Amino acid sequence: MRQRAIWSAVLVVGLALAGCGSASDSGKSTSSDGKLVVWDWKSGEPFAKSYLDKAKADFKKKHADVEVEFVAQPFDQYYTLLGAAIQSGKGPDVMMFNGGGQIRDRVDALVPITDYVAEDKQRLAGWEAFTKDSKVYGSPVTLQGYPIYYNKDIYQKAGLDPASPATTWDKFVADCAAVAKAGSKCFALGNKEGVGIQFWLSSMGSVTLTAAEYDAWITGKRDWTSPNVKRVFETWKETGDKKMNTDGANSTAMFNDSFAAFQSGKAAHVMGLMSDVGHWKAFNEFLTPEKLGVMKPPVVTAGTTPSLPYDGGIGYAVAKWTKDPKVAADLVRSLTSADALKAFYADAGAIAADTTIDVSQAGPAASTIVSELKSGKPALHVALSSKTIDLMGRLSQQLLSGSITVDEVVKQLAASDQAG
Amino acid sequence: MRRARLGWWLLAIPMSLLALATIYPLLFTANVALKTRREYILDRFSLTDSLNWANISTAWTSAGMGRYFVNSLVVVTLSVLLLLLLGSMAGFALSQLRFRGSSALFLGCLAGLFIPFQVVMVPLARIMADTALIDTYPGLILVYVAQFLPFTVFLMTSYYRGIPPEIVDAARIDGNTVYGVYRRIMLPLGTPALLSVGILNTLFCWNDVLMALVMMPSAENRTLMIGVTSLRGQYSDNIPTFASGVLIAAIPVLLVYLFLQRQIADGVAAGSTKG
Repeated sequence: MRQRAIWSAVLVVGLALAGCGSASDSGKSTSSDGKLVVWDWKSGEPFAKSYLDKAKADFKKKHADVEVEFVAQPFDQYYTLLGAAIQSGKGPDVMMFNGGGQIRDRVDALVPITDYVAEDKQRLAGWEAFTKDSKVYGSPVTLQGYPIYYNKDIYQKAGLDPASPATTWDKFVADCAAVAKAGSKCFALGNKEGVGIQFWLSSMGSVTLTAAEYDAWITGKRDWTSPNVKRVFETWKETGDKKMNTDGANSTAMFNDSFAAFQSGKAAHVMGLMSDVGHWKAFNEFLTPEKLGVMKPPVVTAGTTPSLPYDGGIGYAVAKWTKDPKVAADLVRSLTSADALKAFYADAGAIAADTTIDVSQAGPAASTIVSELKSGKPALHVALSSKTIDLMGRLSQQLLSGSITVDEVVKQLAASDQAG
Repeated sequence: MRRARLGWWLLAIPMSLLALATIYPLLFTANVALKTRREYILDRFSLTDSLNWANISTAWTSAGMGRYFVNSLVVVTLSVLLLLLLGSMAGFALSQLRFRGSSALFLGCLAGLFIPFQVVMVPLARIMADTALIDTYPGLILVYVAQFLPFTVFLMTSYYRGIPPEIVDAARIDGNTVYGVYRRIMLPLGTPALLSVGILNTLFCWNDVLMALVMMPSAENRTLMIGVTSLRGQYSDNIPTFASGVLIAAIPVLLVYLFLQRQIADGVAAGSTKG
């Protein structure tokens, strides 16, 4: 009898605790009047604090009665989680996206904000990555591009002129041999996730494909039989064959191991980023601004003109299920306001979508990148489907290890690309 | 004598290497957790010079780990208690009580072992949202119980099958009801297996990220593991802070292991032999 009473008590207490302890305000993440919930993967970062404070202050001026809650989600699971929210039709009012395929694949769950953000069109760059069928679904916060950074110190040690990096592929390969002789590697490469090839394709695209081929690639008319397309993958293979990359590239994570190799002076070059990691600010910290250079990709195909590949990086979009899209769009506008983006550039080091921000104090590398934006072109890999990008990642590893030919790689990629 | 010493070395060397391989990741994480970001980037394998304890407090405060720790504790404790109660009852019934369809029922339970959470994630999220259970403790507890019950039932049934049915018969002859037999005989006899299953379920629930992430979308209701994963953004390069978070989250699990390692070993072996 006594034991029965104890068991009953345990059950009752347990269930009562579960009930009482149930998270308050269930379904909080769904939109409700007087509150907007934002999902992203940046708001938990210390460097985003000032950016968010500015954005919140700007929004407060327009909607003092609306509370904003930011929920920083782990990036690894972000799109899985978003998928579950979209399927259940309940989720945040405003959400962060990477530009390109990630947002375009999910526009059915978003509100077109073309009219709401019309005023910001001129001030911000990178809209294309957040646009589908001429409708804008997100406002860009940063630009994401793939400049080639180099270490001037290593150049000097190798007897090269740090002010004049190679402008042709053959000269570049020769410079890399000099770098190797001086005891460093030419490229810091991490291709464990197969991401290295994406940077390579986009960085080397403008100097390998003709201007017509480049434009056709972006518009979806990709000629995989072109010798120039094949050449991009041949140069990738060449870096492996000639041991230009840091050791064990296929087992090295790009984030953050390959960047650490460059920062710590183990390699002369890295194909880096413009966002908040693997960028000028992080490199400046270790190499100092004077020793950090940004170079144009060396010309592989005669007659081509090097250009910086970049697109919209990250941005915010409005969910279809939000109660008042206008208010949510206003929050997106605050998150891309000039003051907020200035803070994001200053603290995170990301090149913001607002190209009017003065970067002259950031050192020569940042100034060079911003000066190249005008002649920049969309990145080649962003135009590919995520399925083809995954395949390219796997094939690039096989190319580096020598277990597949360039012809076979191009053939498989063409089939995947044409399948859609 | 010489042969005995040789035998000792033959056993000691591989066992030491195995122990080192097991403990090294933990030591590496602890070392990284105490490094500055700069130290880590310049040489991740060197021993820390700075003993940078600030990483631990940064991880604790910026990830809101105090609140998440309590969330994890409540959810995991109640989930495991419920799992043990239901698992032991089902195990007793399926192994000792003779009724029609018991084999089919057991196979049905086993089928649950082969359904990964990813398969049911979207419909489950929808059901939970429709029933207002999403973002609540009971919601996540139910999901954990549903996910780990097949494993618990399987282990408890296997264990109880090793107990001679005559014990049950004798207890019934003595006038016990079915519940009486379960409570007075089976539950005490099942203690080693319950401990083992309880510990394993604690580890499963404590270490889970995906279920908790989907079922607890708001910031304040997260569990500890989500707090840790949130320390790492898309490209975040502050690995020492992340390592500190990992270390904090691993400590409770390590303590469970240290204090209950004998029971874990006994529990795993329990029921493997008859008699």
